[in-house]
Order: sequence, then structure tokens, then C-alpha cells
Amino acid sequence: MAHQAHSYHMVDPSPWPILGASAALLTTSGLTMWFHFHSPYLLIMGLTSTALVMLQWWRDVVRESTFQGHHTPTVQKGLRYGMVLFITSEAFFFLGFFWAFFHSSLAPTPELGGQWPPVGIKPLNPMEVPLLNTAILLASGVTVTWAHHSITEARRKQAIFALTLTVLLGFYFTALQAMEYYEAPFSIADGVYGSTFFVATGFHGLHVIIGSTFLSVCLLRLIKYHFTSNHHFGFEAAAWYWHFVDVVWLFLYIAIYWWGS
Amino acid sequence: QGLKPLVPTESPGPDAIFGTSKPGLPATDTFLGTNKVPDLQKVFQRSDGLPVHLKRGYPDRMLYRTTMALTIGGTFYCLVALYIASQPKTK
Repeated sequence: MAHQAHSYHMVDPSPWPILGASAALLTTSGLTMWFHFHSPYLLIMGLTSTALVMLQWWRDVVRESTFQGHHTPTVQKGLRYGMVLFITSEAFFFLGFFWAFFHSSLAPTPELGGQWPPVGIKPLNPMEVPLLNTAILLASGVTVTWAHHSITEARRKQAIFALTLTVLLGFYFTALQAMEYYEAPFSIADGVYGSTFFVATGFHGLHVIIGSTFLSVCLLRLIKYHFTSNHHFGFEAAAWYWHFVDVVWLFLYIAIYWWGS
Repeated sequence: QGLKPLVPTESPGPDAIFGTSKPGLPATDTFLGTNKVPDLQKVFQRSDGLPVHLKRGYPDRMLYRTTMALTIGGTFYCLVALYIASQPKTK
């Protein structure tokens, strides 16, 4: 069997990139069909195929790393760069929505009554559930760091406990936020206040769900002995993402919930 | 680091996470299951020429074919739907 004279990973031919692109096509055109023609079938096919591609592609990454040993330090460095760049791009994504919020709230128009919050809007009390949500995410940042230290110290039970706590805190945040959405006295259709509030917090909530899913997968892999005390990049990537989600919430809380009320 | 000739790929090894109180014990921990990674490493490193997405045989093939069918079928459905949607409304 030939051996490579370099430390990079030459991947096996894989169908997931092209099928992932097709899944994106189905999802976007499915949205169009649903919006304009009330037909959800294409969208359902798109979301299902997207989920299937994601499942199999990431499954293959786990196979290539944990079972085939392709993730050399060189490869891991590239993955670190990749995750940092991805999170940076997400930061810019949220920056846009914060721009929109400040554009409308720093100089409220006469149509809004010249004030922020606009006339007729009863904002949520930042000292109630939103403050609890802040505490939950901050605590989850502590527990994920505790889990990381436990992994590097090869303490299996402690690592599993700390990561489980982190995931549970994430679910608790999502549940509370869903309840807040249901109980809120204003909706996304309530002018620019509703738009900026629900789009910014809504995308944040989606990222909490994504981050919780990522951490849950890491928990499963931790239980299955995939991580070693000095090689567990999947977990580190999940932890970075989770800290990013936490930081975005802090900005949301201070700007939209607190200053904006 | 620089390129070294015949760099060995880093083996994940049996250095898995051990029990809480005494790190250093052999991997006989049974908390929430035993370590099956070495067995899986053998399975996935078999020289059978299969790509990683089909390495496990039957279950991989079925999942791949399902995904393929859904995606390719969906793409045709999408093109048909877009063709129909692009027709002007004749009332």
C-alpha cells in the first residue's frame, strides 16, 4: 500500500458536495413554491435531503478522523482556521441585523411617534425572562469550559456530566425563548420594532439550536470514546461556536432588550 | 513544521478518556458502554477499495441511494415546477 509523503488529507471521492448543492436548490425553490403556490412538497424534499447530506457528510468526517486517522496536526490546523473563518462570517451576518436595529432605533421616524420603542409597542421587561436567559447562557459557557478541562484531564464521568449540563442549559434557553415568543404582546408584523426584534433574536435562537445540536453530537462522541485528552477538535469547535452564540446574546440583550426598551 | 518524508498519520490510539478518579488505568471503563473505537478503526481501515461513505457496506449504500433518489428526483421535480411557474397566467 503506497504511503503519502505529506501530512495533508487527500479525501476519497464523495457525493456529498454536489448532493448538498442540489439540496440547497430544492430548499430555495421549495420556499418559492410554498410562498407563491402554497405547495410544500418541494420544500419538504429540500429540507429532508439537506438533513441527509449533513448527516452523512459529517459522519464521514468522523470516520476519516477517529477511525482512519487522517487528521494529522497539519490537517487539524486547517480545520481550526476554517472554523475561525466560519464564525467570523457569522459575526458579520449578525452585524447586519444590529446595523438595521440601530438605523431604526437611533433616529426614530415620525411614523413611529418619534420615539423608541415606537408608540403602541409594549417591550418585554429585560429584568424578567431575558435576564434569566442571560444567566443560563453565561452558566452554559462555564459548564462547557468545565467539560473541556475534564476532557484534557481524562476525567470521563466529569466530562460527560459537564457537557450534559451544557446541552440541558441550551435546551432550557430555547424553551424559555419559545415561550417568550408565544407570550409577547407584539409580533414580527408590528412595524420596524417587530421586524428588528424577531429577525435578530430569531436568527440567534436558530444558532442556539444549531449549537445545542453540535454539542449533543459531541456528547454522543464523548460517550463513545471518540475524543482523547489531547485530540478533540470537534469538541473545541463546538465550544467556540457556543461561546460565539453566548456573546451574540449578550449584545442582543444589552442593545435590543435593555437599551431598546 | 515543514514537510517530513513518510509522515505517519496520527493514530487516535487507545488513549481514550479513562475513569474519573485514577487517570492511567487501562481502558476497561464501562461507564455508559465500553470503548469500541479500536474495533471500528479495524473496520474502516480495511483495504477493500471502498470510499469512506460506503465503507460499512449495506446500510451506507441504502442511505446513499435514498439521498441520491430524493435529491435527483427532487431536482427534476424542481425543474418541472419552475417551468410551470414561469408560464404566463392565461385567464
